[in-house]
Amino acid sequence: MLELSHLHYRYPDAEQDALVDINFKIQQGQCIGLLGANGAGKTTLLSLIAQLITPSAGQLRWQQQPSLGLVPQTLAFYAKLSSQENLHLFADLYLLKGQQRQQQLSLAIEAAQLESLLHKKAGQLSGGQQRRLNFALGILAPAQLFLFDEVTVGVDSVSRQHLLNAIKQLKQSGKSIIYTSHYLPEIEQIAERVILLNAGKVLLDIALAEQPSAHNLVIEWVSGIPIELVKLCQQQQLDFQQQHNSLIIHALTQPQWATLLTHISHTTPAPTRMNYSKPSLEQLYLQVSGGQL
Amino acid sequence: MRLWALSFKELLLLSRDWHALGALFIMPGLFLVIMAFAMSAINQDELPAVNFSVDIPNPSPASAFFLAALEKQLPQSQVQADTPTIQIALSPTFAEQLHDNPHQGPKLSFPANSDTLSRQRIRSAVTIALAQTRLWDFLIDSELFSDNAPLAEQLQQVQLQTQSELEEYQILSSGAVGNRASASQMSVPAWLIFGMFFIVLPMSNSLQLEFQSGVLVRLRALPLAQSTLLLSKLIPYSLINMLQFILLLSLGFFVLPLLGLPALSIHGNELAYLALAICITSACCCFGLLIAAVARNTEQALLLSAGSNLILAAIGGIMVPKNMMPISMQHIAELSPMSWALDAFLTLLVGQGELKDIALWCYYLLAFALCTGAAGVILLHRRVQNTLWTSHN
Repeated sequence: MLELSHLHYRYPDAEQDALVDINFKIQQGQCIGLLGANGAGKTTLLSLIAQLITPSAGQLRWQQQPSLGLVPQTLAFYAKLSSQENLHLFADLYLLKGQQRQQQLSLAIEAAQLESLLHKKAGQLSGGQQRRLNFALGILAPAQLFLFDEVTVGVDSVSRQHLLNAIKQLKQSGKSIIYTSHYLPEIEQIAERVILLNAGKVLLDIALAEQPSAHNLVIEWVSGIPIELVKLCQQQQLDFQQQHNSLIIHALTQPQWATLLTHISHTTPAPTRMNYSKPSLEQLYLQVSGGQL
Repeated sequence: MRLWALSFKELLLLSRDWHALGALFIMPGLFLVIMAFAMSAINQDELPAVNFSVDIPNPSPASAFFLAALEKQLPQSQVQADTPTIQIALSPTFAEQLHDNPHQGPKLSFPANSDTLSRQRIRSAVTIALAQTRLWDFLIDSELFSDNAPLAEQLQQVQLQTQSELEEYQILSSGAVGNRASASQMSVPAWLIFGMFFIVLPMSNSLQLEFQSGVLVRLRALPLAQSTLLLSKLIPYSLINMLQFILLLSLGFFVLPLLGLPALSIHGNELAYLALAICITSACCCFGLLIAAVARNTEQALLLSAGSNLILAAIGGIMVPKNMMPISMQHIAELSPMSWALDAFLTLLVGQGELKDIALWCYYLLAFALCTGAAGVILLHRRVQNTLWTSHN
């Protein structure tokens, strides 16, 4: 539904591009988790997609008329209006009428659990309740693409799960989603694809289903890591770390694992613990981004 | 639909903002009443009584005529012999000296605290009464006049000989009608204009809140035309300005007399008042756009709005009437849009002018609106364009 091709953006008076040669497509019904450290270019990318700024080079191609629903991290409502007044104001601004208006309002109120808060002034709601109202105003839009930015910050765990379920429902109804969060388990839960930005470039663009089959191996000894095992890792050019009495080997393929296991079985002292597991998104992220979250 | 929704929202927000309502309605209303009281002693429609005493050591028909002529010149004033007041002392040979040339008039003694206006009124009244007495004496001596008639009749005869009909015209374009304005005529328009310019405060504050929150990002992504966004501010705040105009004028017309102050007399045609209200409203709202564009946050918006309003009011003759300022300051006052609005208002209220008489000030106000509005739109356009997605980055 939206294709970004060779997209560049440079801020006025800046010496370098804030975004460099960004290329990806967003399919209908797809949820993309957008990751990156502070200053990586997420804000600029979201601003471009929300058409707040125009690219310096490259193109954003929409398959149809752009229609966006936004949930920015900053609270985007009028504090002196009640939740209901805010919802009706934005329903008017989204040009919602008749049955569609009622449906969208009900959906947003139910998803954000605002039923009992409708007559309360937005400014008098608690922090988490304000986040929920902010969320409701975003999903009220009759949009095809939704941009969610840190929507669950300050929201209690029950409400958080409710919001995430609402996003899943949006996805199931064919809406496309770009979701940024520093809670990577959330992204694992709702996104099927992750784009990692670093210094304005796409560092990683993978479907979570296609996450590397390579596993991480953690081996622990009571005292000291056997030196021959360290040498073997160096010979095999493995990506490994030594931490006290532990050896952590990243992205280990099945044949490498088999070779390593043979050596370990002949090495003394024997390890006290071994953990061979698929890395979580957070581990993958830390590995790829060099430890910056 | 969007313009209506945003405009209605603006009115709803304003109706819940007690600080803004206070600045727009209560503050100018209070100022209006307080200043009308404070200035009630100046430029009254009827001049206050002047108390004086006349010392006549040698009463004569001439001194009696002089006293009658003097009292006629100072209606509602009281001749008091006992209390220390302005004293007019006739010489013992007052009647005999009336033919002297040069003539020595009565001695005037003023208490130290007597004001300039009272002194001037006494001097004028004594001069006129003395001239009439000398004419009366000349007519008697020349046997052109009989002293057998009652004193009042004799005085009337002399007054007929000394008074002339004067035709008066007002050159309203000169704008100098402020010095003739009564307390109500000065206070009502002055504080009305001051209050109307305070629309800048909620207007700029409202835009700042949208800039600072994520609302503007949501509005831009709708997408919402900038013209709609600007009109959604200009329309409701213009309506509020017009409401201020009507309410504060009504306060002067209906409430001031209840407080013992002279009621505001509204002269001139309604069209002229309507045109003036539109011009002031345009100037206020466009100035609000400029302040909103220049301020970077709500605190700056508050400081700039209140600060600029106070300065424009101080130099524009709102706080201190222009006719009480030195000439150099009066020239500086001409730079303030509040001064243009006040001059136009006084031309209607005091000079009983018409639309053509205030046209120049209306053009000034519209030119001010055009300049500040254009600058505001350009700067706001830049700010809106530079508004990015608001996030943790």
